[in-house]
Amino acid sequence: MYWGGNPAECHPRHFTKYTLMQKSKFLPRGRKDRTMALVDIRATKSAKAADIFLQVRPGKDFEMITILRAMVKGESIPESQIAETGLSLETLEDLVARMKAAKFGAIFFGMGLSMTRGKHMNSAALLTLAAEMNAFTKFVAMPMRGHGNVTGADVIMRWQTGYPFGISFNRGYPRYNPGEFSTVDVLVRGDCDAAFIIGADPGATMPQPAIDHLAAIPTICLDPHVTHTSKLAKVHITTAPAGIAAPGTGYRMDEIPLPLKPALNSPYPSDEEVVRRINQAIAKMPDWMPEGEPPMVLSQV
Amino acid sequence: MKITGGKVYDPANGINGEVRDLHIVDGKFADNANGATGGREIDATGMIVFPGGVDVHTHVAGGSINFARAMTPEDHRRTQAFIRTQSRRSGLGGMAPTTFATGYLYAGMGFTTVNEAAVPALSARHTHEELSDIPIVDKSSCVLMANNEIMLDLMERGEYDRARDIVAWYVWAAKSYGVKAVNPGGVAAWKYGHDAKGMSTAIPGYNKLTPGDVVTQLARIIDDLGLPHPIHLHCNNLGAPGNVATTLETMKHLEGSRAHIAHMQYHAYGGDDWSTMRSESAQLADYFNAHPNMTTDAGAVLFGDTVTITADGPWQHLLYKLTGRKWGNLDVENETGCGIVPYTYKPSNLVNAVQWAVGLELLLLINDPWRVFLSTDHPNGACFWRYPEIIHLLMSNDFRQACMKKLTPAIKGKITLPEITREYTLYEIATIMSAGPARALGLRQKGNLGVGCDADVVIYEEDKDIERMFGHPRYVLKGGQVVIEEGDIRETPEGREFITRPSYNPDTEAFLKPIFEDCYTMSFENYPVEMERIEHPTMMDCVDVD
Repeated sequence: MYWGGNPAECHPRHFTKYTLMQKSKFLPRGRKDRTMALVDIRATKSAKAADIFLQVRPGKDFEMITILRAMVKGESIPESQIAETGLSLETLEDLVARMKAAKFGAIFFGMGLSMTRGKHMNSAALLTLAAEMNAFTKFVAMPMRGHGNVTGADVIMRWQTGYPFGISFNRGYPRYNPGEFSTVDVLVRGDCDAAFIIGADPGATMPQPAIDHLAAIPTICLDPHVTHTSKLAKVHITTAPAGIAAPGTGYRMDEIPLPLKPALNSPYPSDEEVVRRINQAIAKMPDWMPEGEPPMVLSQV
Repeated sequence: MKITGGKVYDPANGINGEVRDLHIVDGKFADNANGATGGREIDATGMIVFPGGVDVHTHVAGGSINFARAMTPEDHRRTQAFIRTQSRRSGLGGMAPTTFATGYLYAGMGFTTVNEAAVPALSARHTHEELSDIPIVDKSSCVLMANNEIMLDLMERGEYDRARDIVAWYVWAAKSYGVKAVNPGGVAAWKYGHDAKGMSTAIPGYNKLTPGDVVTQLARIIDDLGLPHPIHLHCNNLGAPGNVATTLETMKHLEGSRAHIAHMQYHAYGGDDWSTMRSESAQLADYFNAHPNMTTDAGAVLFGDTVTITADGPWQHLLYKLTGRKWGNLDVENETGCGIVPYTYKPSNLVNAVQWAVGLELLLLINDPWRVFLSTDHPNGACFWRYPEIIHLLMSNDFRQACMKKLTPAIKGKITLPEITREYTLYEIATIMSAGPARALGLRQKGNLGVGCDADVVIYEEDKDIERMFGHPRYVLKGGQVVIEEGDIRETPEGREFITRPSYNPDTEAFLKPIFEDCYTMSFENYPVEMERIEHPTMMDCVDVD
């Protein structure tokens, strides 16, 4: 099941490499042995690949998931509530029956679910549906991530700080609060007096007040290309593109690390080398900590 | 460098509390005779000197613990925070500590070597990246094999030699040190919502291969390959009432092979259901005492909050259904799986009370401290930084009896702990937290204060408060470097990683490649972890196993 995502256009290898076309020990006929359902607010190109397409009314994903959770448990739902989702009882009953009959169900959800009305509540509801389906058959759910190696950034921030993003170090240890410490919030409030940007182009995607603040402060940008961000940055260091001319590691959406082997040489240094040299230069400067040992441990209990 | 006047507990050399001087040259213990003078002298008069602690079974790095970190931000907020200083990175302690904090917390407790007990080969690169971010301590790791479908298929067809070559190939591909087996067959069956509970019943999806066959053959393979650490086995049927029968049957399947039974506490229950669950540690300890081919670690439970993480996917689904708390599940292609559920152990809960007692009973009823080791299966039974509490329970019967008063009254007649009066000596503690696990891991240079061994030392101030004594050593030395002193972290050197390279038939790759390309989503060439990704690798030779 794909929910609020359009892999045909956004993750073009997903069907062929992972979900639909592969033949395997238990599904020897490949596509013929699988059923694909797509839930979205409109028939995207991915709908052509689906066996069943369920067009949910915009903003009603959470309601639809909640109804499915109830139906899975055998609860009856008033017709008026089902009508709100834009779908019929028969359609949902058919979907639930197919889900329960599957040997192994997998739900992939995209930003059409996680970034629309309800946001993280939608993701939580869908993950709960997948968890509860395990009372009947094996079911898993996974987000369809965007951007190259965003998963890698998540994974490393988690092992070093405990949190995936939206982290503040301004008390000397990691604190997490999306909505307060997320990049966009810090920029819009004008809380930071410098910015260091690697492998991202917030100048193209963030709200105007955030972009204005980036342009007003010393912004340093590491990027192989000229981007909206590099144009407004005070310093742009051209780096070798990772995976093409610089080695490294990319984390797949399922958090499997893949080695990146460069196919070309580049006259430019890798991001890693630039950051290492900046760190070396910083290490030569006096520490920002005042004299005397700060307390090593804060107990917040 | 010199450590003088301390009471030395060095079980590997039979030294039991004698006052001795230790000499250190180039990070190793040296003979007094060859002029090991110069450098710093630590006056340890009146203090207690142990070899640095060795954790034989812990989960500190890789996909599963990192998923647990993601799932428990609420714990990070209330836990101990490590503030960045000029020499230390910031981090968080708690149920699933961050990597830098993990190194600081282990070293702060006198531990200098840890074995990451469960590494899926497919994401071994990730595990090694995390291990290299754990400072101070040396590390080894065990690769998960018992649910690898390529290996299971070979065993089903009776191709033992080929299966052995494949295991050797995976150990090297993952740049691992040993082999972990988790719920053999059961995790593979979990891909389709099943489990494998009977040792003699065919694994779902297979015609004749049983979990018992996998246990026997894998243990033999590891002995044949001569890996320094034997099969590291998490038995089938973990956590279930009455599972002692499965555990005993598993042990029978291991006769004639070396084996390390992981977290035995979780495998020592009688009863038919949650309300009749009782301890069967006495029965298990009797069998274990009579079979010297095995070692084990306790997997002890302490009351409080933690997060459970295991490759045993079906068990974690059950725990999710029992608790109704958060549940994470990660299936790792055709290799293994993983489940994560936050959990709170309560003395008022009969099952938890039994688990608490069983962990201690096994440590007290297994009579050879060289064969049972201190562990909580971190973070499953409790977090590793709570080891001093377990040491206190082992060394003081009065404290145990006092703790037992807090258990639910329903516990009466279900445990044998009230009748056990044994108290551990310092010598025995040094054995179960250092010398024993080092020997079981085949790390001869660890857990040993003898000449030529790594100068990993922990020095305690003698203290009637056992938890304070073991939780706050006066000095910790790692490779001859003072890393902890007067309650503060002085140095944060990088640790090493121990790896082995068992030999395999040169045609193994040609055999494996087409099968691999048929069932993996990653290319064969990209799969093995490159040697240059391992920080400070130390190759350990394979050994001859009789």
